[in-house]
Amino acid sequence: MRSRMPPQAYIDEAWFARERALLFKPLWQFVGLKVMLDKHNAFITRTLFGIPVVVQNFHGELRAFENICPHRQNPIQVAPHGVRPLFCGYHGWSFDREGATRIPHEDALYRFAQEERACIHLRRFALEVVGNLVFVCLAETPLPIRQQFGAAMLASLTASSLAYDSEVIMTTYEGHFNWKLAYENLRDGHHPRYLHARSLYQDVKFEASISEEGVAGLHRLQQAGIGDRNRALGLMRSFSGGGRDAPMAAPPDEPYHAYVERYRDQDWYYNWLAFPNLHIASANGGHAFIIEHHIPVAAGRTDLVVYYLTAKKKQSYASSAAVLHAHMMGADVVMREDIAVMEQIQRTLHPGARSPHLGDYEYINASLELWYLDLMEGNFAL
Amino acid sequence: MPCKHVIGHGPELARALAAWRSVALSSAPAAALELRPLELDPAAGQAALAAALDGLDGLDDEGASAFVALDARFLNGMRLDLMASLRLRGIAMPALVEPGALVAAGVRMDDNCWIGAGAIIQHGSRISFNTVIGAGAIVGSGVTVGHSAWIDEGVVIGRGARIGAQVTLGLGVIVGHGRQIGKLCIVDKAGRIEQDIAARTFIHATHAQPIVIIGA
Repeated sequence: MRSRMPPQAYIDEAWFARERALLFKPLWQFVGLKVMLDKHNAFITRTLFGIPVVVQNFHGELRAFENICPHRQNPIQVAPHGVRPLFCGYHGWSFDREGATRIPHEDALYRFAQEERACIHLRRFALEVVGNLVFVCLAETPLPIRQQFGAAMLASLTASSLAYDSEVIMTTYEGHFNWKLAYENLRDGHHPRYLHARSLYQDVKFEASISEEGVAGLHRLQQAGIGDRNRALGLMRSFSGGGRDAPMAAPPDEPYHAYVERYRDQDWYYNWLAFPNLHIASANGGHAFIIEHHIPVAAGRTDLVVYYLTAKKKQSYASSAAVLHAHMMGADVVMREDIAVMEQIQRTLHPGARSPHLGDYEYINASLELWYLDLMEGNFAL
Repeated sequence: MPCKHVIGHGPELARALAAWRSVALSSAPAAALELRPLELDPAAGQAALAAALDGLDGLDDEGASAFVALDARFLNGMRLDLMASLRLRGIAMPALVEPGALVAAGVRMDDNCWIGAGAIIQHGSRISFNTVIGAGAIVGSGVTVGHSAWIDEGVVIGRGARIGAQVTLGLGVIVGHGRQIGKLCIVDKAGRIEQDIAARTFIHATHAQPIVIIGA
């Protein structure tokens, strides 16, 4: 079938700005792991769609704010993570759990009128914790998170993420491709046997298949359209899902497995896709997990923040850092295979490029693009 | 004739054997030394490694000694594990200082260290056990290098710097005077380091941003 996605959806900055407003701002975005925020004053910072966000632990309670001091617009927390009060190092302003401001030398130096002073506080964002995963929403009136992911997906994310250990390795890849190429790639079960033939496919034999029910559903969508907002939300929830994906070629067997409390007991590749831009997987049957968060930066730029962690340790062991580093470098091989092809596609795209041809096995991506284009054309709003 | 068990893998094992031969030949008078190499497969697992060590003959012989020659894999942990296994068997594991290395008087150097040819270790430094200082590396005065570190060939460490245990410094790295590199770090990106680096930070030339470990 012929895709309707125009090349502008991947390369045009004006399109990207509209996408940010219509798609990303109303939706919940993953921002980090609760285990990274496990003590008073622990924080993480991220820039989500151009907006700097800080999530801070206040005596066990997590709050999300815009990470900009209301005085001179200096970032309040500068490091990507750490343990530090919410305090601006430029002029000493500090902030409490409500975002209210304490200003040193206020009367002597600032003399704000009462009305103006009342407006001086941090902009707060909605925050939800799903198991070990922290999400924020930048909208003033957030969609209930259940409407985005659905109850079953939230339950699966909660159960699996509660198996995470508290020792986490992470880095960021600066990808030169549009973020949608990542979600399309992740929902394309046919590419691993070619692109990852010498890496991931050695361990897991992914088999793409056609769901006749899924194809019929796609045909109904193509004929009848997405429908109203409620139907659009329902369809969006179908883009998220997770659990067992494909059996492993051989049982996982590494010395550290004896030291962790495995998530479930099946020798399967587990896969969770949380629309729009979060991917979690366990390539070794629940002994360790990779979390990939694709943060759109520009039409042709996507940051991939990657976390790797094992299942919870039964006890500390001396080589845990080496285990995490080895896992990260192993995942690096697969990530670079994906990144290389996505960057090739991005470089190939031009305003006059013809639309791609999708096979029936790609019915999910085809449904997703119908939904996406309806949203971008203003036929419904989130 | 005293025997030395040289245990390791791949090019490091071959280089260590050659280095011990050079050491024996360069002593005056030339010393007789029987080298007994044992090639191990680091991927074989702990049980297989232990079995291979259990099968060694002559560990208890008078004058017997051992040396472990493995690369920096697994954050230098495999070399550490192997050395620890041998130490538990009570065998001497003197440091290997290749001919041509310049080690100042008063430098403290522990078991199973390996100082490559042409390396310079300046006054007052301490090189803890199982650390490898590559050929031509320069370690300034008053430097502390923790155990099981891997300092690649030609690396320069400024005076007073502190390098944590199991750190790997790759080709082309220069550590500024007085800088501190926390344990279990990798710096494998050429350039001069003028900021302290927190433990469990991995800076690879292949990665745009550092890899870090958070939590425990």
